[in-house]
Amino acid sequence: MIKLQERKASIQPIESKLKISILEDEEIKQINQNTRTVLEEVGVVFPSEKALKIFAEVGAKVDFDNQLVKIPAHLLNKYLATSPRNYTMAGRRPDLDVKVGDGTGTYFYCSGEAPKIVDFKTGERRLSVKQDTANHACIADYLPIISLLWPTVSSSDRGVTSPLHGLEACFNNTEKHVETESVMDQISARYAVEMATAIAGNEKNLRKRPILSQLLCCIAPLAQDRGGIEAAMIFAEYGIPVGFMSMPTLGLTAPPYPAGALTLAMAETLSGIMLTQIINPGVGNYISVNPGIIDPSTGNYFMGSGIAQITNVGGIQMAHSNGIPVLACHSFGGSQYKLGNWQAGYENFYSHFLAVMAGADMSFGPSGMYEAVSLLDHPRILFDREILRVIDDVTDGIEVNPKTLSFDMIKQIGHTGSYIGHKESAKAYRSIWPRESILYEDGTAEGRKWRDPVEVARETISWILENHKPVQLPEDVKQEIRRIVTTADQDEKLKKEIGGY
Amino acid sequence: MSVEIHKKLAQAVVDGESEVAEALARQALEQGLEPLDCINEGLTKGIQHVGELFADGECYLPELVMSANAMKAALSVLEPAMLGGKQREIVGKVVLGTVQGDLHEIGKNLVGIMLTANGFQVIDIGANKSVSEFIKAIKENSATIVGASALLTTTMREQKKLIDAIKEAGLRDQVKVMVGGAPVNQDYAEQIGADGYAENAISAVNLAFRLVDAPR
Repeated sequence: MIKLQERKASIQPIESKLKISILEDEEIKQINQNTRTVLEEVGVVFPSEKALKIFAEVGAKVDFDNQLVKIPAHLLNKYLATSPRNYTMAGRRPDLDVKVGDGTGTYFYCSGEAPKIVDFKTGERRLSVKQDTANHACIADYLPIISLLWPTVSSSDRGVTSPLHGLEACFNNTEKHVETESVMDQISARYAVEMATAIAGNEKNLRKRPILSQLLCCIAPLAQDRGGIEAAMIFAEYGIPVGFMSMPTLGLTAPPYPAGALTLAMAETLSGIMLTQIINPGVGNYISVNPGIIDPSTGNYFMGSGIAQITNVGGIQMAHSNGIPVLACHSFGGSQYKLGNWQAGYENFYSHFLAVMAGADMSFGPSGMYEAVSLLDHPRILFDREILRVIDDVTDGIEVNPKTLSFDMIKQIGHTGSYIGHKESAKAYRSIWPRESILYEDGTAEGRKWRDPVEVARETISWILENHKPVQLPEDVKQEIRRIVTTADQDEKLKKEIGGY
Repeated sequence: MSVEIHKKLAQAVVDGESEVAEALARQALEQGLEPLDCINEGLTKGIQHVGELFADGECYLPELVMSANAMKAALSVLEPAMLGGKQREIVGKVVLGTVQGDLHEIGKNLVGIMLTANGFQVIDIGANKSVSEFIKAIKENSATIVGASALLTTTMREQKKLIDAIKEAGLRDQVKVMVGGAPVNQDYAEQIGADGYAENAISAVNLAFRLVDAPR
């Protein structure tokens, strides 16, 4: 069982000694060339007057009637050049900062924004509410493997301002960096910026240490979402990092081939990044490619499949070849598997194993999700964590040096002896034995008997929810955030913008 | 002075420092200290502390083995110096071995280490040992427990042969029999008339305490 004692939030990226490449340099070059040709000849739809004007002003070929932007390669490259390869997504404390792209390793998200949850007490499936987001943020705050988080479920009890309530629930329950992927209109974006500014103290601090970031989903093929792109422009203006996610579904919203799907993904994400760089050169960006396939018999959507996952890993190389950090996107829970299905284990393992080895700057990670990220089950997060723990061990590789070659030890023990009582064995077992596991009842030798990990995980989650007390925001900041969200709740323009009434 | 050396002996055992423990034992004898006191107040206290750390999950088998080795090193100096037939207090005498035809002994060795660390005197006769070699060791050492390990389905039957031979030798009332090994289980142990089965080294210690009716 993981060691349960109260502790302050901390973060722990996974660094991999093992490296893999899916694409060769020449292949990367061809996809990049193809991307630029697509942007120049086919273009991307930006359904926002403001965005179209910005593109037109810098020399892109803009068709206002069809809201279509065609971008010459030289223009794209000019603006990509200002998008930083390294930047900080700040936590409330510097030791909680996600140092994107600095080679520290892969930082893991707790993501989701699922609409449903398995009620922790009753086991019933129901729509998620704000308190569920708060609870999961508290759990994420406690677990070091999680470096940054989204509101993990939607606050269905709060109506159209659910995304802002989700942010409030996160800010009140974690010191870690918070990201939104549901603030998808410019009015909500301004409220979110106001909340982040309240935490940072002022706008200048916010620009320097953005506590908030945005992930924006593009619309495949080759289009952006109006509300999302308008929110992204606001966030970029205030120095808040903006990530762009492409979701090419092979043979449905993208060509059936990974190379073609990656071309579309790059065209969608790079065009968005260019827009934010025009608005605020140097603002942080990242790319995320989240490919899927369909069941050709039923049309059902699948995130988890070999071909989709290898495309995702190819996306890591493609983003890096353009000098942009990347969020590997095979979320735990991305498959259609049901509760407790064995498929969860192997898909989660290989997708994240590949992402870490391919050098993803960030990756969706332990979230506790099932059923294509539509259902949260709190204890599941510990199973995700367990898989990442193994990946962390495996990707350390093998250390070869005079000490580890162990010649002196081999000579000393000789034939038919045992290494169990050797000092080096004692030292080594301190690091090689997985002390923090959910598979054992407790840490004592006599207590080490197998129990149903689901039962152990439930006890662990209960303990965290009862005992972990995330460091709170100063009371005046908390009150200010409450005031902002309350104002948003009463904002008629916002209701009209989102709800259309 | 004696208290200080006792403390140092205990610490050497806790640290798993065989050479230090042995040197301290020599120093104690040179200073005229009573060997039995050094054992009871130094070594035993040290090994008991390590046993507690192990039970609490605070240290692992390698540390336990290092401590057991340190204790053994000091005992090799102190025990021969004990006069007047004095003997250190032990929980029980255990003859341990792997049965004939079976060369596996890692599990058996761990059981031996754990029993030693818990105050038993262990006579490890090794692997691939015939029934007669077990019987001989039981008699020579007046053992109160015999532990027979078998890792193969083809050798586990030797455990029954051993129990039969112990009965024939008239030793069944003197010695309790515990069996272990991958193919063995509680049902099998009962079926062949053993006194107990242990799944691993930790449960072997608990079983041994039960068999000699001693408190833990």
